[in-house]
Amino acid sequence: MNYWVQRLTASIMLLLAVSMLTFGAMNLLGDPLFNILGPAAADTKPESLEKVAAAKELYHLDRPLPERYVRWLGDMVTGDFGVQFSSTGQPPVSDLVVERFPRSLTLLVMAQLLASMIAIPWALITAARANRPADRISTINSFLLIAMPNFALAVILKYIFGIKLGWFPLTFKATDPWLTRIYQTFLPALTIALPAAAVYQRLLRTDLITTLQEDFILMARSKGVSRRRVLLRHALRPSLFSFITVFGINTGALIGGSLIVESIFRIPGLGSAIVEAILREDFPVVLAIVMIITTAFVIVNVVVDIVYTLIDPRVRR
Amino acid sequence: MSGLQTDGRVEQGRLLTVENLSTTFATERGPVRAVDQVSLSLDRGQALGIVGESGSGKTVLSRSIMGLLPSTARREGSIRFGDHELLGSGAVDMSKLWGREMSMVFQNPMVSLNPVMRIGEQIAEPLRIHLGMSRRDARATTVRLLRDVRIPEPERRVDQYPHELSGGMRQRVMIAITLACGPTLLFADEPTTALDVTVQAQILDLIAEQREERNMSVVLVTHDLGVVAGHTDVIAVMYGGRLVEVAPTAVLFADMRMPYTEALLQSIPRLDQPSHTRLTAIPGRPPDLLDPPRGCAFAPRCAFARDRCREEAPTLTPADNPEHRFACWYPVGSAEYLETRERIASGLTIGGRS
Amino acid sequence: MSDTITKRLGPLFWLAVGWLAIVSLLALFAPWLPIKDPDSYFLVRGERPPYSPSGTHWFGTDQDARDMFARIIYGARVSLVIGFVAIAFGMVVGGTAGIVAGYLRGRTDKVVSFIFIVFLSFPSLVLAILITALLDRGLVTIALTLGVLAVAPVGRLARATTLAYADREFVTAARAIGAGDRRIIVRELLPNVVIPMGALALLGMAVAIVAEGGLAFLGLSVEKGPTWGKLILIGAGSRELEKSPWIAFGPIIVLFLTVLALNYAGDRIRSYYDVREIGL
Repeated sequence: MNYWVQRLTASIMLLLAVSMLTFGAMNLLGDPLFNILGPAAADTKPESLEKVAAAKELYHLDRPLPERYVRWLGDMVTGDFGVQFSSTGQPPVSDLVVERFPRSLTLLVMAQLLASMIAIPWALITAARANRPADRISTINSFLLIAMPNFALAVILKYIFGIKLGWFPLTFKATDPWLTRIYQTFLPALTIALPAAAVYQRLLRTDLITTLQEDFILMARSKGVSRRRVLLRHALRPSLFSFITVFGINTGALIGGSLIVESIFRIPGLGSAIVEAILREDFPVVLAIVMIITTAFVIVNVVVDIVYTLIDPRVRR
Repeated sequence: MSGLQTDGRVEQGRLLTVENLSTTFATERGPVRAVDQVSLSLDRGQALGIVGESGSGKTVLSRSIMGLLPSTARREGSIRFGDHELLGSGAVDMSKLWGREMSMVFQNPMVSLNPVMRIGEQIAEPLRIHLGMSRRDARATTVRLLRDVRIPEPERRVDQYPHELSGGMRQRVMIAITLACGPTLLFADEPTTALDVTVQAQILDLIAEQREERNMSVVLVTHDLGVVAGHTDVIAVMYGGRLVEVAPTAVLFADMRMPYTEALLQSIPRLDQPSHTRLTAIPGRPPDLLDPPRGCAFAPRCAFARDRCREEAPTLTPADNPEHRFACWYPVGSAEYLETRERIASGLTIGGRS
Repeated sequence: MSDTITKRLGPLFWLAVGWLAIVSLLALFAPWLPIKDPDSYFLVRGERPPYSPSGTHWFGTDQDARDMFARIIYGARVSLVIGFVAIAFGMVVGGTAGIVAGYLRGRTDKVVSFIFIVFLSFPSLVLAILITALLDRGLVTIALTLGVLAVAPVGRLARATTLAYADREFVTAARAIGAGDRRIIVRELLPNVVIPMGALALLGMAVAIVAEGGLAFLGLSVEKGPTWGKLILIGAGSRELEKSPWIAFGPIIVLFLTVLALNYAGDRIRSYYDVREIGL
């Protein structure tokens, strides 16, 4: 129990630190008024000054930084992400988030699912044939895949499967039915999944090879359990730890990668939203998205911890 | 138990015949012959003790018979189990025999049970695979097996994980697993070495009791002559991958001929000594199997070795009693042996000890 | 014996180093090389660019009839400088923080480790976007931004390695003869931390070069001049890929080979020294 309390405290500290960093960076480095008001922000004409004062009042930009931070934090904790900084009305940030978040989430979940679905059988096959030709070739393959930048892979997959073979659509239409959009998301998800799968396969293969040398594996064989069943029922589960740890940590990196992949395949998700928001210095939107991403990261890692205890009865606390 | 039995099972008489079995490992530094030309046989219901120091090849021998070797190992010779030949062309699929006809109790119960599987599942696995039992039947049988191996509260224990059990309990679980399908041949590879002294006797008695009850053959592998003394019918002593003395247990203890066997006997631990001191009791080290000595492998460590021992390897030959075979030029009791002992007793030393 | 075999770095390692040397030299001496001007338009009367690879344009031209081969070499200048400056910054700042944290332990370690965790859990690309969007998009800004991102991973490795060495006999011995903290860090710990860090530097340089490409795809890379990322981006549209795939694939191949060479060299160095470590 104590452990989970500690874990929760650390997570909250982390979220606070990330939010302060983002909030501070945005406010110290940027000047949103220019983007809201255009050239008028730098004007000294009376009506411009009035506009500036009004905008400052509206967005609480006239208050000191710490106060604004606390205000924003208070709102956010109660589920209010504030309004977008814009010259045309103040649409709530949550509208944008509700529209964009599911697309990014779908992409990421699909990517991680694909990566695991590729990595686990791949690792099982190579671990069972460790250091034989098939395994050697696979090692080279995964090395190449890991070195492949995601945007380059995106271009290659787009060229092969989208243009030459024409198997997958190259457009994403938000108005299409759900299943069609899943289909449209496949290629981008594969782009994220392939290098991730290679990373997972390397880890899982190494751990499987170590596990396969354990005495309990020999014991299982001596019971007459088939090789296949030994691999699946006895060796896999105790070999999953590094894989799951990195699966969690990697989520953060994949979120970064998905921003680029979203933009290449033109999926209007959180990726394009945050890039646009940063460019127009729309602080509340940037903050909201950063907090969502970081929270997702924290949640995934807590889930990883829970999965540990499910896999290995010895770590049940 | 009739429902558990396979066609063509040996009910009495010869169960296992091993002839000229050699096992060679391909290593980076060259081939290592860990088992060299071993022949032995075992009747149904009999208990065989394979005794030797660590590195003598006794574990490799038992695993060679069972076929549980890494892919770098190559076996030659013949192993007949009942009507089946286990080696070479036409050999039967071992995984059909494993767990069903022959099974093995491993040395260290701490690492030989799957840590992330309930013990009930681990016992039920061979029942479900080999006997096609339903989940419910397998569970009932599992509970009965746990009771057979004297585990208290078996209904509760089935759902526990190995780490919730003591070492002795885990070894009992392992025995339950190996007994599950009622095998005719049980290998026990140092089954008590990793356990507390107080538990050791209980585990050996449990194996003996189950052997009696099931008319099962047992191969007990150990470095400890004391362990096999009360629990086997026949003893085979191994050194450097070879059998150096084979005899019925009573005969061996009454009249051991190989100086190595004698040295092993003198190295039996006593309760007043810490258990790990016993392995070093014979001075010197077992031979390097990459580069085995030309003559008798034990000669470099043998106080009674003479020139002939270092030149020419003795073969396993019967003594006056045809059931008693040993490989020694100057066995215990021979004139040369007595002469050397005399000399040692009078304080003179001779070459040979390294 | 077998360890002399594993101790060799292997021909592939030297191939990788050779590739890196060629790319670096071409980039370094680009203005003096007999290559086309990267910014000139080599329009051919009666033919619409882009032109496919040929004897005059080895890698073809882009939509504006600019020579891709020259642009890739000039792109290497920017990409390699970014990679180098970024990882150098990460090494100095992250390395120092990591070694000090690992050596002093206690509260310093807790604080530094927490800062590392904050940075590591922050999607690094978001941070890069944030900084580059809010500051100018000059070469130095981008390189330093990516350098900031390298601090936490480098620092974490430096800390872990230091922790592993801090209790070794030679450190204890140095302390016993009265060596000061600074001396122990510089004389005893640094030489041991340098090797794994060097391997990481090569990997990190690859990461920074790739990160530049990522930023380019978001429209946030260096404003002036070609970079590998920008070159790929120009050819990556659906229509361009269909009509003139060479625009994207030329720089992709060069970028990929460079990243591969950096990864492989880093990997080899790491395992090379691991082997020696075990042999001790």
